[in-house]
Amino acid sequence: MKVLLLLAALGNGAVFGADAPVLIQNATILTVTNGTVKGSILLENGKIAAIGERVAAPAGSTIVDGSGKYVMPGIIDCHSHIMVDAINEGSVSVSSMVQMSDVLDPEDIAIYRALAGGVTTANILHGSANPIGGQTLVMKMRWGRNAEEMKLEGAMPGIKFALGENPKRRGNGPGNPGALRYPATRMGVEDVIREAFTEAKAYKAKWDDYKAKTARGEPALPPARDLKLEPLVEVLEGKRLVHAHCYRQDEILMLLRVADEFGFKIRTLQHALEAYKVAPEILAHGAGVSTFADWWAYKIEAEDAIPYNAAILTRKGVVVSLNSDDPELIRHLDKEAAKTLKYGGLSETEALSLITINPAKQLMIDKRVGSLEVGKDADVLLYDGHPLSNLSKVLKVWIDGHEYFDRDQDIEGRPKKEAEKKALEKKAAGARGGETE
Amino acid sequence: MTLKAPALMIMMALPVVAQTPGSYVLQNARVVRVSGPVIERGTVVIRDGLIDAVGENVAAPAGAWVIDCQGLTVYPGLIDALSRWGLPSESEGRGGPPARGPEDRPLNASWTKAADQIVPTDRVIQRVRDAGFTTAVVFPNGNIFSGQGSVIDLAGDRAGRMVVADSVGQYVTLRTSGGRGFPASLLGSIAYVRQIYLDADNYQAAKAIYEKHPQGLPRPAYDRALEGVLAAPLVLLPAEQEIEIARMLTLARDLKRKVVLYGGHEAGRGIDLLKQAQTPVLVSLKFPVKPRDADPAEEEPLRVLEFRDKAPSAAGALAQAGVKFAFYSDGVTNPKDLFRAVRKAVEAGLKADDATRAMTLAPAEIYGVADRLGSIEKGKIANLVVADGDLFAEKTKVKYTFVDGAKFEPLAEEPAQRPAARNSAR
Amino acid sequence: MKALLILLLPLGLFAADDSFLLRGATVHTMNGTEIENGSVLVRGGKIAGVGKNLAAPKDTKVIDGKGLHVYPGMIDAATEVGLVEVNSLRETNDTTEIGRFNPQLVALTAVNPSSEHIPVTRANGITTVATMPQGPLISGQVSLIHLDGWTTEEMGVSRTAALHLRMPFVQVGGRGGPEREPPGSGASSPDTFTGARQTFEKQMAELNEFFESARRYKQAKEAHAAEFKVDLKLEAMIPVLDQKEPILVTAIREREIRDALAFADKQKVKIILCEAPEAYKVTKEIKAHNVPVILGPTLELPLDEDDPYDRTYTTPADLQKAGVRFAIGTFAGTANLSSRNLPYQAAQAVAFGLPHDEALRAITKNAAEIWGIGDRLGTIEEGKWADLMVTDGDPLEAKTQVRLLFIKGKPVDLDNRQKQLYEKYRNRP
Repeated sequence: MKVLLLLAALGNGAVFGADAPVLIQNATILTVTNGTVKGSILLENGKIAAIGERVAAPAGSTIVDGSGKYVMPGIIDCHSHIMVDAINEGSVSVSSMVQMSDVLDPEDIAIYRALAGGVTTANILHGSANPIGGQTLVMKMRWGRNAEEMKLEGAMPGIKFALGENPKRRGNGPGNPGALRYPATRMGVEDVIREAFTEAKAYKAKWDDYKAKTARGEPALPPARDLKLEPLVEVLEGKRLVHAHCYRQDEILMLLRVADEFGFKIRTLQHALEAYKVAPEILAHGAGVSTFADWWAYKIEAEDAIPYNAAILTRKGVVVSLNSDDPELIRHLDKEAAKTLKYGGLSETEALSLITINPAKQLMIDKRVGSLEVGKDADVLLYDGHPLSNLSKVLKVWIDGHEYFDRDQDIEGRPKKEAEKKALEKKAAGARGGETE
Repeated sequence: MTLKAPALMIMMALPVVAQTPGSYVLQNARVVRVSGPVIERGTVVIRDGLIDAVGENVAAPAGAWVIDCQGLTVYPGLIDALSRWGLPSESEGRGGPPARGPEDRPLNASWTKAADQIVPTDRVIQRVRDAGFTTAVVFPNGNIFSGQGSVIDLAGDRAGRMVVADSVGQYVTLRTSGGRGFPASLLGSIAYVRQIYLDADNYQAAKAIYEKHPQGLPRPAYDRALEGVLAAPLVLLPAEQEIEIARMLTLARDLKRKVVLYGGHEAGRGIDLLKQAQTPVLVSLKFPVKPRDADPAEEEPLRVLEFRDKAPSAAGALAQAGVKFAFYSDGVTNPKDLFRAVRKAVEAGLKADDATRAMTLAPAEIYGVADRLGSIEKGKIANLVVADGDLFAEKTKVKYTFVDGAKFEPLAEEPAQRPAARNSAR
Repeated sequence: MKALLILLLPLGLFAADDSFLLRGATVHTMNGTEIENGSVLVRGGKIAGVGKNLAAPKDTKVIDGKGLHVYPGMIDAATEVGLVEVNSLRETNDTTEIGRFNPQLVALTAVNPSSEHIPVTRANGITTVATMPQGPLISGQVSLIHLDGWTTEEMGVSRTAALHLRMPFVQVGGRGGPEREPPGSGASSPDTFTGARQTFEKQMAELNEFFESARRYKQAKEAHAAEFKVDLKLEAMIPVLDQKEPILVTAIREREIRDALAFADKQKVKIILCEAPEAYKVTKEIKAHNVPVILGPTLELPLDEDDPYDRTYTTPADLQKAGVRFAIGTFAGTANLSSRNLPYQAAQAVAFGLPHDEALRAITKNAAEIWGIGDRLGTIEEGKWADLMVTDGDPLEAKTQVRLLFIKGKPVDLDNRQKQLYEKYRNRP
C-alpha cells in the first residue's frame, strides 16, 4: 500500500516516520569497507547504530533472524533511466537546460523491481542523445513516497554528457542536410562541448561584469538568464558533477583533455567500454569509471568491450562501478558484480565494492551510503545466501532504517492485490453498463 | 403573464442569437444565489442586462415582463471554466524551421487572445446555453504557450459584445514539437516554460530600467511572446495525475506566478500538496474510462483502475480541503454528459452546493470576475438559468436561460439548420 | 596462469588419434548419476566409457581432473549466434528475410563461422546452440550448430531442426511494453479489439491456407500428378506435415499459446513452444498436448505492471512442477542477450525455486531431447558424442571457470579476442 506523507521541511536528511529500531541477528555481515562480521547489526533512527558479534537490542526493536543469511549495504546504480517520463531532449545538441527532476515518476514499477533486486540508490540520468544533455540527480528507492521525498538530500547535482555514436545519430540522417542536427562526427562532438563551455565562460564573465557594475552603482541591464549555460557554469565552478557516456579510448582521452583545458573534472566516464586501454590517463585526471560487467557487440563502438574492463581498471587504481542503464539489469547488479570474480579475478570485497562504496564515492555520497559503518544511512540488504552467488536472492531491503521490501510480504500481498483489481474491474464494468457515451 | 405585445412580436421575428435585453421579473422562484443562502420563494429583477434586485419581497418595476416561476429554480448561469465553445476548431502550431532552443520561441502564440477568435455563430453555443451555460472561459489552443483566455457570455451576434474579460490567463500545455526541433520531449517543454518566464521577468525589468534612463544603454528588443505572457495574470498548467500535480506545483514556485492547474483527476491523492500551495484546480468533467472495444485479455494495472475509480471523487476531496476548484468541459460539447459527470462527482462525495458553486462562483473567483459574475446579486450581470428542478438532475428541464439579460428558451429538440427554424408559436 | 597451462597442455598433446581419458573429476552425467572421482573415456569423438576409476587403454592421453567437474557441454536452445554480429549494423544481421512465408530458408546457410560470438560463447562452456531466423510469420528453419568447426558444414549438428513460426496474435494499436514486436510488421494495427481481431483472423486464414496448399502439393507430388511442379517453399513443408520436423512456435501471451496448441491439433503437426513467458497459465493444456517449451530468458522483465516481480524467475519451477518438459534459451542476438550467460539464466530460476539439477538439465539433457538430438548429446553416456565441459566448480555460479572444453572429443580453443585484449592491455606500462 502506498502512503503519501505530507512534505514538511526537507533538506535536513529527513527520516520519514518513526520506525522502531531493527536488529538483524546472527548474520554474516559484509560491511565492504571493514571486512566481514559474523554477528548483528542495529538500525536506529535511520542510521546504522551498531555492528558487532553481539549487539543489544533497544526496547521495542524489531528482531530479524539472520541465521544462515547475509547482510550487505544497499546497492547503488550509477546509471539509470528509471522513474522518469522522458529520457532525452534530443532536438538540440546541448540540452543542459532540462532537468530530470522535472519529469520524475515515483510510481514507476521499475523502482519497486529494482528495490527487490537490492538497489537502494540510483543516479537518474538524461539519455545519450546529445553531447551535452540534461541535469541529473540521485534518488533513493523509497517506494511509496513522492518524488521530492525520494531525492537523496544534499547529493551534488550532475549533468550528462555523451560521446560517440549516440549523439551523432541525428546528424547522420535520415533527412535533408539542412534539417540534420549537428554533430555528425566525433570531431563535431568535441566541437559542441568546446563551444558550449566557451559560451559558458563568456556568460559567467557577463554576469560577473553586471554584478560589478551594479555594485559600483552604475546603470546596467541585467543579462538574460540562460538556463542552458548556468549548469555549465556550475560545472566550471565544481558544483555539478559530469557523468559522460563514452566508449572509445580516443573520445575518452579527448574529453579528459577538454575538461583539463577548461578547468573542470569529469566525475565519471559512463560505459567507457574501452577505458581499460587508457587506465593511466583516467587515473591521472581523477575520473571514475562506471561500466557494464559484460555487455558487448551491440554497437560497433562496443566492439572492443571486454568483461575484464572493471578488473583492469581496478588493478590500475581507478575507482570503478558497475551500472545497469537498464530497468531489467538493475534487478541483478549483484550477479553482474559476481562476474568480475571470473573475469579478472577480483576478490569478493572488490566485486561488492563495484556496486556499493565505489559508486557512492563517484557520486560523492560515500559519507552517507555505500558500506555498513556506524553512522551511515541504514540502507541495508538481507540475502538468503552470499550476494555474489547466483543462487541467492534478496529477502528484505531497508532504506534509512525503514523496510521498503520484504519478499514474504510481497508474496502474501498478491492475492489481496488480485482481489482489489477484480473488485474495481467489476465495479467499473457495472458502471459502464449505464452509459450512453 | 403581462406582455408588451408589439415588442414581443418584433422580438419573435428577430434571429435568436441576439435579443435586446428587456426587463424581466422572475417571481415565486426558488433562488439559488450561491453567494448566500437559498431563497425558497423569491424574486429576481433583471434590467438592462444586469440583476437589478433579488430578494423575498421585491417589487416588479413597471413595464417589466413578469414570469411566474412557481415550482422553478433560478441559478446563476453556469460557467465552463476552460473551454473551446465559440472558438474555431483547434489549429496546429504554425510550421517553420525546427527550433534550436527556447530562444526561437517555438509553439508560442502567447500574444493571441481568445477574444479575437470568437465565432458567435458556433452551434455549440446554443446547445450549451439551452442547458444552462451562460458563460465560458475560452482559451486558444494548439501550442505550448497557446494564448490568453477570455471570459465570454454565450450569446450575441458580435464577438466584442460577448467578451466580459479579454485576458484572464495564459493557457500552457506541455506538448512537444512532434519531432521537429525543440522541444522534443516533456523535459524540453518544461524547461522551455521556465526559461520563457525568466526571460519575461528579465524583459520587464530591462524595459523598466531602460525607460527610466535610456541614455547609454542598449535597448531591449521587443518580444511579443514575452509581452503575451506578461499580459495575463494567471498561468494555466496541466496536471491530471498526482505526479503531474507535484511537478507543476514545483514549476509554479519557479515561475513565481499565480498558477491554476487543469485536469485535476488525481487531486484526491495530491490534496496535501494542493492545500499547502492553495493553488486552484480546474477539474475536467471528462472522467477517464476504459477505452471502448479494448482487448479483454489485456491486463490493466491496478494503478490505472484506481485512477479511474477515484477520478469522480477528486472534486469532493478538493471541496473538503478548502481548495478552490471549478469544473470544465474538457472538449465535451453535450451538456447531458457534463451533468452526468457532475452527478457522478456528487455520488462520490461532492456536496450538491459545492457542485453548483464549482460551475458558478468558483470559476468567477478564480478568474477575477466574481465582482460581476457567478452569483445572483444585485449589480452583477444577469446570467441566469431557470429550471424545473435540480439543475444537474437527469430529468430536469431548463425553461429559460438569461445571458446578459437576454432571454432564451431551449427548443424541444435540436434546431434543423437555421436559427429561423425556432418555434415562434408562443 | 594455472588455467592457461592446463589449456595448452591438451592442445599440444592431441594428435591424429584424439582419444583421451579424463580422470579424477566429479562427473555430472545429467542422467541421474554423479560420479565422485570419476572418469570419462573418449574415443573417436564419442564417449567410450563413464565410470569410477576407468583404466586408461594403451596410448591414451590422460588428463588429470582432480578438483574439477565434468558436465555435458551446455546447449543454448534458442539464439541467433552466427547470424548477427553487431546489433546496430544491419549489414551484419542475417536473421530476417523479406516476406511472411519462407519455410525454405535455412539458418545454417547464413551462419558466419568467423563470428566472434562463437569463441566468446564457448569460452563459458556452451558447445551447441540452436540458431534461428526471425520474421513476422514463417521465417525459415532453425539450425543446430556446434560452436567449433572450420566451415558451417563441420559446425552443423542439425541443419533443419525445426520450422520457425511466429504465431499470429491480436494486436490492438501499438502495444508498448517488454514484449517483442514481430520484426518487419510495419503496418500499424487497428485501434479496436474488433478490428484487430479481424486482422488476426485474416492472418490465421492465410496461415492455414498455406498449410493446406502444402498438403495439396505433397499429395500431388506423391501421386506424380501430371501438372506437378517443384515449389521450394512447399517442398520444405513436407517434413513438417509428415511430423518428421517440428515447428518452433514463438508465442508470448496465453491466448497465443492456446492458439498455437489448437493450430497444432488442426494441422496435425508437432510443435515446440518458444519463449512462452505465459506458459505458466497454460501448463495443463501444454502437458496434455505433450508439447515441450523452450523458455525465454529468466532475466527479463515481467510482461505486465502488476505481475509479481519474480514472475519470470519462477516460471521454470512452475513448469517443472506441472510436469511440462522445458529448456531455457538466451535468445542471444539482436535482443542483446549474451549466449555465454546461459547458465546464469538457469541459475536465477534456482534462486527462485527450481531444483539445481533441473536447472542444469534445462541447459543440457532437456535441450538436447527437445531438439531431437538427445540420442547424441545432452548427457555423458557411452555412445554419445563427447561434448564435454570441465569446470572448477558449479557452472551456474559466475566465479566458476571453464578449464577445458571438448566438442566431439576434440579440444576447443577457449581463447578469444576479449581475452587477448585483456592480456594486451593489462600489461600496458
